Amino acid sequence: MMKNKYSFIALIIFLFVGPFLFPNATIAEMLIFGIVAISTNIMLGYTGMLSFGQALFFGTSAYISGLMLLGGFPLFLAIPVATLGSFIISLFIGYFCVKREGLYFICLTFAFNQMFYFIAYVWHDVTGGEDGLVGVERPAYIDSQLTFYIFTSMMFLFAVIALYKIVTSPLGLIFKLIRENANRAEAIGYNVRFYKLISFSIASTFTGLAGSLYVLIHSMVPIDQIHWLKSGDIIFMTLFGGVGSFLGPLIGVVGYIWLSDTFSIIWARWPLIMGVIFAIVVLYFRGGVSELLENLFKKYKSISKKTEHEQNIKNTKLN
Amino acid sequence: MNKILKIQNLTKNFGSISAVSNVNLEVEEGTIHSVIGPNGAGKSTFFNMISGVIPPSNGSVYYKDKDITGFESFKLPHMGIAKCFQITNVFPKLTVRENVWASIFSCSHKSKVDLFKSMNDFETIDKDTENIISDVGLSHKIDDKAEELSHGQQRMLEMAITLGAKPDLLLLDEPTQGLAPEATVEMTELIRKLSKNYTILLIEHKMHIVMEISKIITVLNFGEKIEEGTPNQIKNSKKVQDAYLGRK
Repeated sequence: MMKNKYSFIALIIFLFVGPFLFPNATIAEMLIFGIVAISTNIMLGYTGMLSFGQALFFGTSAYISGLMLLGGFPLFLAIPVATLGSFIISLFIGYFCVKREGLYFICLTFAFNQMFYFIAYVWHDVTGGEDGLVGVERPAYIDSQLTFYIFTSMMFLFAVIALYKIVTSPLGLIFKLIRENANRAEAIGYNVRFYKLISFSIASTFTGLAGSLYVLIHSMVPIDQIHWLKSGDIIFMTLFGGVGSFLGPLIGVVGYIWLSDTFSIIWARWPLIMGVIFAIVVLYFRGGVSELLENLFKKYKSISKKTEHEQNIKNTKLN
Repeated sequence: MNKILKIQNLTKNFGSISAVSNVNLEVEEGTIHSVIGPNGAGKSTFFNMISGVIPPSNGSVYYKDKDITGFESFKLPHMGIAKCFQITNVFPKLTVRENVWASIFSCSHKSKVDLFKSMNDFETIDKDTENIISDVGLSHKIDDKAEELSHGQQRMLEMAITLGAKPDLLLLDEPTQGLAPEATVEMTELIRKLSKNYTILLIEHKMHIVMEISKIITVLNFGEKIEEGTPNQIKNSKKVQDAYLGRK
Protein backbone atom coordinates (compact mmCIF):
# COMPACT_ATOMS: atom_id res chain seq x y z
CA MET A 1 0.00 0.00 0.00
CA MET A 2 2.83 2.38 1.01
CA LYS A 3 4.73 1.39 -2.11
CA ASN A 4 1.75 2.32 -4.28
CA LYS A 5 1.34 5.63 -2.42
CA TYR A 6 4.94 6.60 -3.16
CA SER A 7 4.59 5.46 -6.77
CA PHE A 8 1.51 7.62 -7.29
CA ILE A 9 3.18 10.65 -5.70
CA ALA A 10 6.14 10.11 -8.05
CA LEU A 11 3.71 9.85 -10.96
CA ILE A 12 2.02 13.14 -10.15
CA ILE A 13 5.41 14.85 -9.80
CA PHE A 14 6.42 13.37 -13.16
CA LEU A 15 3.28 14.75 -14.80
CA PHE A 16 4.17 18.25 -13.57
CA VAL A 17 7.90 18.08 -14.25
CA GLY A 18 7.80 16.01 -17.47
CA PRO A 19 7.04 18.87 -19.89
CA PHE A 20 10.11 20.74 -18.62
CA LEU A 21 12.37 17.72 -19.12
CA PHE A 22 11.25 16.47 -22.52
CA PRO A 23 10.00 18.02 -25.77
CA ASN A 24 6.22 18.23 -26.12
CA ALA A 25 5.87 15.37 -28.61
CA THR A 26 8.19 13.14 -26.57
CA ILE A 27 6.34 13.56 -23.27
CA ALA A 28 2.99 13.00 -25.04
CA GLU A 29 4.39 9.84 -26.59
CA MET A 30 5.62 8.70 -23.16
CA LEU A 31 2.16 9.11 -21.64
CA ILE A 32 0.44 7.39 -24.55
CA PHE A 33 2.81 4.44 -24.52
CA GLY A 34 2.53 4.52 -20.73
CA ILE A 35 -1.14 3.56 -21.13
CA VAL A 36 -0.09 0.82 -23.56
CA ALA A 37 2.59 -0.64 -21.28
CA ILE A 38 0.57 -0.48 -18.04
CA SER A 39 -2.41 -2.13 -19.74
CA THR A 40 -0.21 -4.73 -21.46
CA ASN A 41 1.13 -5.56 -18.01
CA ILE A 42 -2.40 -6.57 -16.92
CA MET A 43 -2.07 -9.37 -19.43
CA LEU A 44 1.69 -10.01 -19.17
CA GLY A 45 2.57 -9.39 -15.52
CA TYR A 46 -0.75 -10.07 -13.83
CA THR A 47 -2.19 -12.89 -15.95
CA GLY A 48 1.02 -14.36 -17.37
CA MET A 49 0.12 -14.09 -21.06
CA LEU A 50 2.71 -12.85 -23.55
CA SER A 51 1.15 -11.32 -26.66
CA PHE A 52 3.03 -10.25 -29.76
CA GLY A 53 -0.08 -8.68 -31.20
CA GLN A 54 -0.66 -5.47 -29.25
CA ALA A 55 0.38 -3.25 -32.17
CA LEU A 56 -2.68 -4.59 -33.97
CA PHE A 57 -4.96 -2.82 -31.50
CA PHE A 58 -2.77 0.26 -31.24
CA GLY A 59 -2.54 0.70 -35.00
CA THR A 60 -6.12 -0.21 -35.85
CA SER A 61 -7.45 2.21 -33.29
CA ALA A 62 -5.10 4.93 -34.55
CA TYR A 63 -6.43 4.37 -38.09
CA ILE A 64 -10.08 4.46 -36.96
CA SER A 65 -9.52 7.61 -34.94
CA GLY A 66 -7.52 9.25 -37.77
CA LEU A 67 -10.09 8.36 -40.42
CA MET A 68 -12.93 9.72 -38.30
CA LEU A 69 -11.11 12.98 -37.72
CA LEU A 70 -10.37 13.22 -41.45
CA GLY A 71 -14.07 12.57 -42.06
CA GLY A 72 -14.98 15.56 -39.91
CA PHE A 73 -16.17 13.68 -36.83
CA PRO A 74 -15.42 15.30 -33.46
CA LEU A 75 -12.52 13.99 -31.38
CA PHE A 76 -14.83 13.06 -28.52
CA LEU A 77 -16.62 10.65 -30.81
CA ALA A 78 -13.49 9.41 -32.59
CA ILE A 79 -11.77 8.28 -29.36
CA PRO A 80 -14.66 6.17 -27.95
CA VAL A 81 -15.47 4.65 -31.34
CA ALA A 82 -11.82 3.70 -31.95
CA THR A 83 -11.53 2.28 -28.42
CA LEU A 84 -14.77 0.36 -28.82
CA GLY A 85 -13.46 -0.93 -32.14
CA SER A 86 -10.39 -2.31 -30.35
CA PHE A 87 -12.59 -3.90 -27.71
CA ILE A 88 -14.73 -5.69 -30.31
CA ILE A 89 -11.70 -6.85 -32.32
CA SER A 90 -10.00 -8.03 -29.12
CA LEU A 91 -13.02 -10.16 -28.21
CA PHE A 92 -13.03 -11.74 -31.65
CA ILE A 93 -9.26 -12.36 -31.86
CA GLY A 94 -8.92 -13.16 -28.17
CA TYR A 95 -11.61 -15.83 -28.45
CA PHE A 96 -9.32 -17.81 -30.76
CA CYS A 97 -6.01 -16.92 -29.10
CA VAL A 98 -6.94 -17.96 -25.54
CA LYS A 99 -7.81 -21.42 -26.80
CA ARG A 100 -4.06 -22.00 -26.83
CA GLU A 101 -1.32 -21.43 -24.27
CA GLY A 102 2.36 -20.47 -24.22
CA LEU A 103 4.16 -20.53 -27.54
CA TYR A 104 0.99 -21.26 -29.50
CA PHE A 105 -0.78 -18.29 -27.94
CA ILE A 106 2.17 -16.06 -28.87
CA CYS A 107 2.15 -17.39 -32.45
CA LEU A 108 -1.57 -16.73 -32.82
CA THR A 109 -1.31 -13.14 -31.59
CA PHE A 110 1.67 -12.61 -33.91
CA ALA A 111 -0.24 -14.09 -36.87
CA PHE A 112 -3.27 -11.86 -36.30
CA ASN A 113 -0.99 -8.84 -35.96
CA GLN A 114 0.63 -9.55 -39.31
CA MET A 115 -2.76 -10.17 -40.92
CA PHE A 116 -3.91 -6.69 -39.89
CA TYR A 117 -0.58 -5.20 -40.95
CA PHE A 118 -0.96 -6.56 -44.47
CA ILE A 119 -4.56 -5.36 -44.67
CA ALA A 120 -3.32 -1.87 -43.74
CA TYR A 121 -0.44 -2.20 -46.21
CA VAL A 122 -2.53 -3.18 -49.23
CA TRP A 123 -5.62 -1.09 -48.46
CA HIS A 124 -3.88 2.00 -49.69
CA ASP A 125 -7.04 4.02 -50.46
CA VAL A 126 -8.14 3.92 -46.83
CA THR A 127 -4.98 3.62 -44.75
CA GLY A 128 -2.48 5.32 -47.02
CA GLY A 129 -0.60 2.01 -47.29
CA GLU A 130 3.15 2.33 -46.93
CA ASP A 131 2.92 6.13 -46.66
CA GLY A 132 0.65 5.95 -43.62
CA LEU A 133 -2.45 7.97 -42.91
CA VAL A 134 -1.53 11.64 -43.19
CA GLY A 135 -3.17 15.04 -42.82
CA VAL A 136 -5.05 14.41 -39.60
CA GLU A 137 -5.53 17.69 -37.81
CA ARG A 138 -5.81 18.26 -34.11
CA PRO A 139 -8.98 20.08 -33.03
CA ALA A 140 -8.37 23.77 -32.29
CA TYR A 141 -9.07 23.42 -28.54
CA ILE A 142 -6.02 21.15 -28.05
CA ASP A 143 -3.82 22.72 -30.67
CA SER A 144 -1.49 24.56 -28.28
CA GLN A 145 1.32 22.66 -26.54
CA LEU A 146 -0.19 23.30 -23.12
CA THR A 147 -3.77 22.25 -23.91
CA PHE A 148 -2.58 19.16 -25.76
CA TYR A 149 -0.42 18.15 -22.80
CA ILE A 150 -3.27 18.73 -20.33
CA PHE A 151 -5.59 16.67 -22.54
CA THR A 152 -3.07 13.80 -22.87
CA SER A 153 -2.36 13.86 -19.12
CA MET A 154 -6.07 13.69 -18.30
CA MET A 155 -6.57 10.72 -20.60
CA PHE A 156 -3.47 9.07 -19.13
CA LEU A 157 -4.70 9.59 -15.55
CA PHE A 158 -8.14 8.28 -16.44
CA ALA A 159 -6.58 5.10 -17.89
CA VAL A 160 -4.20 4.64 -14.95
CA ILE A 161 -6.97 5.02 -12.36
CA ALA A 162 -9.28 2.65 -14.24
CA LEU A 163 -6.52 0.04 -14.59
CA TYR A 164 -5.55 0.45 -10.94
CA LYS A 165 -9.17 -0.16 -9.92
CA ILE A 166 -9.09 -3.36 -11.95
CA VAL A 167 -5.87 -4.74 -10.47
CA THR A 168 -7.03 -4.04 -6.91
CA SER A 169 -10.45 -5.63 -7.47
CA PRO A 170 -11.31 -9.34 -7.23
CA LEU A 171 -10.81 -9.48 -11.00
CA GLY A 172 -7.16 -8.50 -10.51
CA LEU A 173 -6.79 -11.30 -7.98
CA ILE A 174 -8.30 -13.79 -10.44
CA PHE A 175 -5.74 -12.70 -13.05
CA LYS A 176 -2.97 -13.42 -10.53
CA LEU A 177 -4.47 -16.84 -9.75
CA ILE A 178 -4.30 -17.72 -13.44
CA ARG A 179 -0.68 -16.56 -13.66
CA GLU A 180 0.25 -18.57 -10.57
CA ASN A 181 -1.63 -21.79 -11.21
CA ALA A 182 -4.25 -21.95 -13.94
CA ASN A 183 -5.26 -25.56 -13.15
CA ARG A 184 -5.93 -24.73 -9.53
CA ALA A 185 -7.87 -21.60 -10.51
CA GLU A 186 -10.06 -23.80 -12.71
CA ALA A 187 -10.50 -26.30 -9.87
CA ILE A 188 -11.83 -23.65 -7.49
CA GLY A 189 -14.43 -22.58 -10.00
CA TYR A 190 -12.95 -19.98 -12.33
CA ASN A 191 -13.45 -20.38 -16.05
CA VAL A 192 -9.81 -19.70 -16.91
CA ARG A 193 -10.37 -19.26 -20.63
CA PHE A 194 -13.08 -16.67 -20.00
CA TYR A 195 -10.92 -14.66 -17.61
CA LYS A 196 -7.94 -14.84 -19.97
CA LEU A 197 -10.18 -13.36 -22.63
CA ILE A 198 -11.22 -10.58 -20.23
CA SER A 199 -7.56 -9.84 -19.45
CA PHE A 200 -6.68 -9.85 -23.15
CA SER A 201 -9.59 -7.52 -23.91
CA ILE A 202 -8.79 -5.08 -21.12
CA ALA A 203 -5.16 -4.82 -22.26
CA SER A 204 -6.17 -4.47 -25.90
CA THR A 205 -8.96 -1.96 -25.29
CA PHE A 206 -6.69 0.39 -23.34
CA THR A 207 -3.98 -0.11 -25.96
CA GLY A 208 -6.64 0.92 -28.47
CA LEU A 209 -7.45 4.01 -26.41
CA ALA A 210 -3.77 4.94 -26.54
CA GLY A 211 -3.70 4.34 -30.30
CA SER A 212 -6.64 6.67 -30.80
CA LEU A 213 -4.64 9.43 -29.06
CA TYR A 214 -1.38 8.70 -30.85
CA VAL A 215 -2.70 10.05 -34.13
CA LEU A 216 -2.85 13.51 -32.53
CA ILE A 217 0.88 13.75 -31.80
CA HIS A 218 2.26 13.88 -35.32
CA SER A 219 -1.08 14.31 -37.13
CA MET A 220 -0.51 11.01 -38.90
CA VAL A 221 -0.49 7.22 -38.47
CA PRO A 222 2.74 5.68 -39.82
CA ILE A 223 2.24 2.09 -40.93
CA ASP A 224 4.96 0.85 -38.57
CA GLN A 225 2.56 1.51 -35.68
CA ILE A 226 0.67 -1.64 -36.67
CA HIS A 227 3.75 -3.75 -37.47
CA TRP A 228 4.68 -6.63 -35.17
CA LEU A 229 7.98 -4.89 -34.37
CA LYS A 230 5.90 -2.30 -32.52
CA SER A 231 4.39 -5.20 -30.52
CA GLY A 232 7.97 -6.19 -29.71
CA ASP A 233 8.72 -2.64 -28.57
CA ILE A 234 5.69 -2.73 -26.28
CA ILE A 235 6.90 -5.99 -24.70
CA PHE A 236 10.40 -4.55 -24.38
CA MET A 237 9.16 -1.39 -22.66
CA THR A 238 6.98 -3.40 -20.26
CA LEU A 239 9.75 -5.84 -19.33
CA PHE A 240 12.36 -3.08 -19.13
CA GLY A 241 10.24 -1.21 -16.60
CA GLY A 242 9.27 -4.34 -14.71
CA VAL A 243 6.18 -6.49 -14.69
CA GLY A 244 6.22 -6.92 -10.93
CA SER A 245 4.61 -3.59 -10.11
CA PHE A 246 1.65 -1.62 -11.40
CA LEU A 247 3.53 1.50 -12.53
CA GLY A 248 6.82 -0.26 -13.32
CA PRO A 249 6.11 -0.44 -17.07
CA LEU A 250 5.84 3.36 -17.18
CA ILE A 251 9.49 3.59 -16.12
CA GLY A 252 10.27 1.27 -19.02
CA VAL A 253 8.41 3.52 -21.45
CA VAL A 254 10.12 6.70 -20.25
CA GLY A 255 13.53 4.97 -20.31
CA TYR A 256 12.99 3.39 -23.71
CA ILE A 257 11.70 6.51 -25.45
CA TRP A 258 14.37 8.73 -23.87
CA LEU A 259 17.18 6.29 -24.71
CA SER A 260 16.00 5.72 -28.27
CA ASP A 261 15.56 9.46 -28.86
CA THR A 262 19.02 10.18 -27.43
CA PHE A 263 20.94 7.36 -29.14
CA SER A 264 19.22 7.75 -32.49
CA ILE A 265 20.71 11.26 -32.79
CA ILE A 266 24.21 10.09 -31.82
CA TRP A 267 24.48 6.82 -33.74
CA ALA A 268 22.49 5.36 -36.61
CA ARG A 269 22.96 1.80 -35.30
CA TRP A 270 21.27 2.69 -31.99
CA PRO A 271 19.02 -0.43 -31.86
CA LEU A 272 22.23 -2.36 -31.14
CA ILE A 273 22.62 -0.49 -27.84
CA MET A 274 18.96 -1.13 -26.99
CA GLY A 275 19.54 -4.83 -27.67
CA VAL A 276 22.46 -4.90 -25.24
CA ILE A 277 20.41 -3.10 -22.59
CA PHE A 278 17.54 -5.55 -23.09
CA ALA A 279 19.91 -8.51 -22.74
CA ILE A 280 21.33 -7.07 -19.49
CA VAL A 281 17.85 -6.49 -18.06
CA VAL A 282 16.68 -10.00 -18.92
CA LEU A 283 19.88 -11.60 -17.61
CA TYR A 284 20.43 -9.63 -14.42
CA PHE A 285 17.30 -7.60 -13.58
CA ARG A 286 14.36 -9.88 -14.21
CA GLY A 287 12.08 -7.53 -12.32
CA GLY A 288 13.12 -4.62 -14.56
CA VAL A 289 14.18 -1.14 -13.54
CA SER A 290 11.33 -0.79 -11.02
CA GLU A 291 12.56 -3.81 -9.06
CA LEU A 292 16.11 -2.50 -9.21
CA LEU A 293 14.97 0.85 -7.80
CA GLU A 294 12.89 -0.89 -5.15
CA ASN A 295 15.86 -3.00 -4.05
CA LEU A 296 18.10 0.08 -3.91
CA PHE A 297 15.46 1.88 -1.82
CA LYS A 298 15.22 -1.11 0.57
CA LYS A 299 19.01 -1.24 0.86
CA TYR A 300 19.16 2.49 1.60
CA LYS A 301 16.44 2.10 4.25
CA SER A 302 18.21 -0.82 5.95
CA ILE A 303 21.54 1.08 5.97
CA SER A 304 19.96 4.22 7.45
CA LYS A 305 18.14 2.05 10.03
CA LYS A 306 21.44 0.39 10.95
CA THR A 307 23.19 3.76 11.27
CA GLU A 308 20.37 5.07 13.43
CA HIS A 309 20.57 1.98 15.63
CA GLU A 310 24.36 2.37 16.04
CA GLN A 311 23.89 6.05 16.88
CA ASN A 312 21.33 5.13 19.54
CA ILE A 313 23.75 2.64 21.12
CA LYS A 314 26.51 5.30 21.13
CA ASN A 315 24.18 7.82 22.76
CA THR A 316 23.12 5.31 25.42
CA LYS A 317 26.77 4.56 26.22
CA LEU A 318 27.61 8.25 26.48
CA ASN A 319 24.70 8.81 28.83
CA MET B 1 -29.57 -42.58 3.36
CA ASN B 2 -29.27 -40.49 0.19
CA LYS B 3 -26.74 -41.37 -2.43
CA ILE B 4 -25.04 -38.07 -3.20
CA LEU B 5 -22.77 -39.45 -5.95
CA LYS B 6 -23.56 -42.29 -8.31
CA ILE B 7 -21.03 -43.61 -10.79
CA GLN B 8 -22.17 -45.99 -13.47
CA ASN B 9 -19.92 -48.07 -15.73
CA LEU B 10 -17.20 -45.42 -15.74
CA THR B 11 -14.54 -46.30 -18.29
CA LYS B 12 -11.43 -44.64 -19.63
CA ASN B 13 -9.44 -46.02 -22.53
CA PHE B 14 -6.11 -44.65 -23.68
CA GLY B 15 -5.81 -46.21 -27.12
CA SER B 16 -6.06 -49.93 -26.59
CA ILE B 17 -5.24 -49.69 -22.88
CA SER B 18 -8.14 -49.51 -20.47
CA ALA B 19 -7.10 -47.45 -17.42
CA VAL B 20 -10.53 -47.70 -15.78
CA SER B 21 -13.08 -50.25 -16.80
CA ASN B 22 -16.81 -50.29 -16.00
CA VAL B 23 -16.53 -49.06 -12.42
CA ASN B 24 -19.79 -48.62 -10.49
CA LEU B 25 -19.87 -46.85 -7.16
CA GLU B 26 -22.34 -45.04 -4.92
CA VAL B 27 -21.37 -42.59 -2.20
CA GLU B 28 -23.72 -42.22 0.74
CA GLU B 29 -24.32 -38.70 2.01
CA GLY B 30 -22.45 -37.79 5.21
CA THR B 31 -19.90 -40.61 5.01
CA ILE B 32 -16.26 -41.11 4.11
CA HIS B 33 -16.06 -43.41 1.11
CA SER B 34 -12.52 -44.40 0.20
CA VAL B 35 -11.09 -45.75 -3.03
CA ILE B 36 -7.90 -47.73 -2.68
CA GLY B 37 -5.75 -49.92 -4.86
CA PRO B 38 -2.14 -50.79 -5.59
CA ASN B 39 0.02 -48.53 -7.78
CA GLY B 40 -1.38 -48.29 -11.30
CA ALA B 41 -4.85 -49.44 -10.22
CA GLY B 42 -6.43 -46.44 -11.99
CA LYS B 43 -7.32 -44.44 -8.87
CA SER B 44 -6.09 -41.09 -10.17
CA THR B 45 -7.69 -41.56 -13.60
CA PHE B 46 -10.91 -42.43 -11.82
CA PHE B 47 -10.60 -39.31 -9.66
CA ASN B 48 -9.82 -37.11 -12.67
CA MET B 49 -12.91 -38.34 -14.51
CA ILE B 50 -15.18 -37.53 -11.58
CA SER B 51 -13.62 -34.12 -11.10
CA GLY B 52 -13.91 -33.15 -14.77
CA VAL B 53 -10.20 -33.06 -15.57
CA ILE B 54 -10.48 -35.77 -18.21
CA PRO B 55 -13.66 -36.90 -19.97
CA PRO B 56 -14.61 -40.57 -19.62
CA SER B 57 -14.71 -42.85 -22.66
CA ASN B 58 -17.91 -44.35 -21.38
CA GLY B 59 -20.23 -44.35 -18.37
CA SER B 60 -21.91 -41.68 -16.28
CA VAL B 61 -21.40 -39.64 -13.13
CA TYR B 62 -24.50 -38.43 -11.26
CA TYR B 63 -24.30 -35.87 -8.49
CA LYS B 64 -27.52 -35.38 -6.52
CA ASP B 65 -29.23 -37.23 -9.40
CA LYS B 66 -27.93 -34.78 -11.98
CA ASP B 67 -25.80 -36.13 -14.80
CA ILE B 68 -22.46 -34.28 -14.56
CA THR B 69 -20.48 -36.57 -16.86
CA GLY B 70 -17.72 -34.68 -18.66
CA PHE B 71 -18.62 -31.35 -17.04
CA GLU B 72 -15.73 -28.88 -17.18
CA SER B 73 -13.96 -28.83 -13.85
CA PHE B 74 -14.65 -25.13 -13.14
CA LYS B 75 -18.40 -25.83 -13.01
CA LEU B 76 -18.18 -28.41 -10.23
CA PRO B 77 -17.37 -26.12 -7.27
CA HIS B 78 -20.47 -24.06 -8.11
CA MET B 79 -22.56 -27.23 -7.79
CA GLY B 80 -21.06 -28.18 -4.42
CA ILE B 81 -18.14 -30.43 -5.39
CA ALA B 82 -14.62 -29.43 -4.40
CA LYS B 83 -11.38 -31.29 -4.80
CA CYS B 84 -8.02 -31.49 -3.10
CA PHE B 85 -5.07 -32.44 -5.29
CA GLN B 86 -2.54 -35.24 -4.82
CA ILE B 87 0.38 -32.90 -5.52
CA THR B 88 0.33 -29.68 -3.50
CA ASN B 89 -1.48 -27.21 -5.67
CA VAL B 90 -1.64 -23.72 -4.24
CA PHE B 91 -0.96 -20.21 -5.56
CA PRO B 92 2.67 -19.80 -4.45
CA LYS B 93 3.24 -16.06 -4.80
CA LEU B 94 -0.06 -15.13 -3.13
CA THR B 95 -0.65 -14.94 0.60
CA VAL B 96 -2.50 -17.61 2.55
CA ARG B 97 -5.37 -15.12 2.92
CA GLU B 98 -5.55 -14.46 -0.83
CA ASN B 99 -5.43 -18.18 -1.60
CA VAL B 100 -8.47 -18.90 0.52
CA TRP B 101 -10.28 -15.63 -0.20
CA ALA B 102 -10.21 -16.34 -3.92
CA SER B 103 -11.69 -19.77 -3.38
CA ILE B 104 -14.57 -18.45 -1.28
CA PHE B 105 -15.20 -15.58 -3.69
CA SER B 106 -15.44 -17.98 -6.61
CA CYS B 107 -18.55 -19.66 -5.25
CA SER B 108 -20.10 -16.79 -3.36
CA HIS B 109 -20.04 -13.77 -5.69
CA LYS B 110 -23.46 -13.09 -7.07
CA SER B 111 -22.86 -11.14 -10.24
CA LYS B 112 -20.09 -10.09 -12.57
CA VAL B 113 -20.35 -6.58 -11.08
CA ASP B 114 -18.72 -7.95 -7.91
CA LEU B 115 -15.57 -8.59 -9.95
CA PHE B 116 -14.97 -4.86 -10.25
CA LYS B 117 -15.71 -3.88 -6.65
CA SER B 118 -13.03 -3.10 -4.13
CA MET B 119 -11.57 -6.08 -2.26
CA ASN B 120 -12.60 -4.35 0.97
CA ASP B 121 -16.30 -4.59 0.13
CA PHE B 122 -16.63 -8.26 1.06
CA GLU B 123 -16.77 -8.44 4.84
CA THR B 124 -18.46 -11.85 4.98
CA ILE B 125 -15.81 -13.36 2.73
CA ASP B 126 -13.08 -11.80 4.88
CA LYS B 127 -14.58 -13.38 8.00
CA ASP B 128 -15.10 -16.78 6.36
CA THR B 129 -11.50 -16.66 5.11
CA GLU B 130 -10.16 -16.13 8.61
CA ASN B 131 -12.40 -18.88 10.03
CA ILE B 132 -11.32 -21.48 7.48
CA ILE B 133 -7.65 -20.58 7.90
CA SER B 134 -8.08 -20.92 11.64
CA ASP B 135 -9.78 -24.33 11.19
CA VAL B 136 -6.71 -25.69 9.41
CA GLY B 137 -4.36 -24.12 11.97
CA LEU B 138 -2.69 -21.52 9.76
CA SER B 139 -3.88 -18.30 11.45
CA HIS B 140 -0.30 -17.38 12.40
CA LYS B 141 0.71 -17.58 8.71
CA ILE B 142 -2.27 -15.75 7.25
CA ASP B 143 -0.26 -12.97 5.59
CA ASP B 144 2.68 -15.12 4.53
CA LYS B 145 3.10 -16.11 0.94
CA ALA B 146 2.10 -19.71 0.22
CA GLU B 147 5.58 -20.48 -1.12
CA GLU B 148 7.06 -19.61 2.28
CA LEU B 149 5.09 -22.37 4.06
CA SER B 150 6.45 -25.81 4.87
CA HIS B 151 5.17 -28.74 2.83
CA GLY B 152 2.83 -29.81 5.62
CA GLN B 153 1.44 -26.29 5.95
CA GLN B 154 0.95 -26.10 2.19
CA ARG B 155 -1.10 -29.31 2.36
CA MET B 156 -3.24 -27.69 5.04
CA LEU B 157 -3.59 -24.60 2.87
CA GLU B 158 -4.60 -26.83 -0.01
CA MET B 159 -7.34 -28.21 2.22
CA ALA B 160 -8.41 -24.68 3.23
CA ILE B 161 -8.69 -23.67 -0.44
CA THR B 162 -10.84 -26.74 -1.05
CA LEU B 163 -13.11 -25.92 1.88
CA GLY B 164 -13.46 -22.35 0.64
CA ALA B 165 -15.93 -23.56 -1.96
CA LYS B 166 -18.24 -24.62 0.92
CA PRO B 167 -18.92 -27.92 -0.80
CA ASP B 168 -21.31 -30.75 0.00
CA LEU B 169 -18.96 -33.32 -1.50
CA LEU B 170 -15.21 -33.29 -0.98
CA LEU B 171 -13.00 -35.17 -3.40
CA LEU B 172 -9.65 -35.81 -1.73
CA ASP B 173 -6.83 -37.27 -3.80
CA GLU B 174 -4.19 -38.69 -1.46
CA PRO B 175 -4.24 -35.72 0.94
CA THR B 176 -1.47 -37.22 3.09
CA GLN B 177 0.92 -37.65 0.16
CA GLY B 178 4.46 -36.63 1.13
CA LEU B 179 3.54 -35.65 4.69
CA ALA B 180 5.72 -36.38 7.72
CA PRO B 181 4.17 -38.82 10.24
CA GLU B 182 3.08 -36.04 12.65
CA ALA B 183 1.51 -34.02 9.82
CA THR B 184 -0.21 -37.19 8.57
CA VAL B 185 -1.85 -37.63 11.96
CA GLU B 186 -2.96 -33.98 11.89
CA MET B 187 -4.41 -34.36 8.40
CA THR B 188 -6.21 -37.57 9.35
CA GLU B 189 -7.76 -35.81 12.31
CA LEU B 190 -8.80 -32.93 10.09
CA ILE B 191 -10.48 -35.30 7.61
CA ARG B 192 -12.28 -37.03 10.47
CA LYS B 193 -13.46 -33.64 11.74
CA LEU B 194 -14.58 -32.60 8.27
CA SER B 195 -16.62 -35.77 7.83
CA LYS B 196 -19.12 -34.38 10.33
CA ASN B 197 -20.06 -31.65 7.87
CA TYR B 198 -19.12 -33.01 4.48
CA THR B 199 -19.44 -36.14 2.39
CA ILE B 200 -15.96 -37.27 1.45
CA LEU B 201 -14.70 -39.40 -1.42
CA LEU B 202 -11.14 -40.21 -0.47
CA ILE B 203 -8.47 -41.65 -2.73
CA GLU B 204 -5.66 -42.85 -0.50
CA HIS B 205 -2.96 -45.47 -0.48
CA LYS B 206 -2.07 -45.39 3.21
CA MET B 207 -4.07 -48.38 4.39
CA HIS B 208 -4.08 -47.59 8.10
CA ILE B 209 -5.71 -44.19 7.46
CA VAL B 210 -8.33 -45.64 5.16
CA MET B 211 -9.16 -48.44 7.59
CA GLU B 212 -9.38 -46.00 10.46
CA ILE B 213 -11.72 -43.38 9.04
CA SER B 214 -13.74 -44.86 6.16
CA LYS B 215 -17.26 -46.17 6.29
CA ILE B 216 -17.11 -47.89 2.92
CA ILE B 217 -14.05 -48.83 0.89
CA THR B 218 -13.92 -49.61 -2.82
CA VAL B 219 -10.87 -51.44 -4.10
CA LEU B 220 -9.60 -50.99 -7.64
CA ASN B 221 -7.04 -53.17 -9.38
CA PHE B 222 -5.95 -52.88 -13.01
CA GLY B 223 -8.77 -50.39 -13.54
CA GLU B 224 -11.51 -52.70 -12.31
CA LYS B 225 -13.50 -52.74 -9.10
CA ILE B 226 -12.57 -55.94 -7.32
CA GLU B 227 -14.19 -55.43 -3.93
CA GLU B 228 -16.36 -53.08 -1.90
CA GLY B 229 -17.36 -53.14 1.74
CA THR B 230 -16.69 -51.97 5.27
CA PRO B 231 -13.07 -51.73 6.47
CA ASN B 232 -13.42 -55.11 8.20
CA GLN B 233 -14.77 -56.80 5.10
CA ILE B 234 -11.94 -55.35 3.02
CA LYS B 235 -9.35 -56.38 5.58
CA ASN B 236 -10.52 -59.99 5.36
CA SER B 237 -11.04 -60.08 1.61
CA LYS B 238 -8.87 -62.65 -0.15
CA LYS B 239 -9.26 -60.80 -3.45
CA VAL B 240 -7.80 -57.63 -1.91
CA GLN B 241 -4.93 -59.50 -0.28
CA ASP B 242 -4.14 -61.18 -3.59
CA ALA B 243 -4.19 -57.82 -5.42
CA TYR B 244 -1.82 -56.19 -2.95
CA LEU B 245 0.51 -59.16 -2.88
CA GLY B 246 0.47 -59.46 -6.65
CA ARG B 247 -1.11 -62.94 -6.59
CA LYS B 248 -3.37 -63.90 -9.44
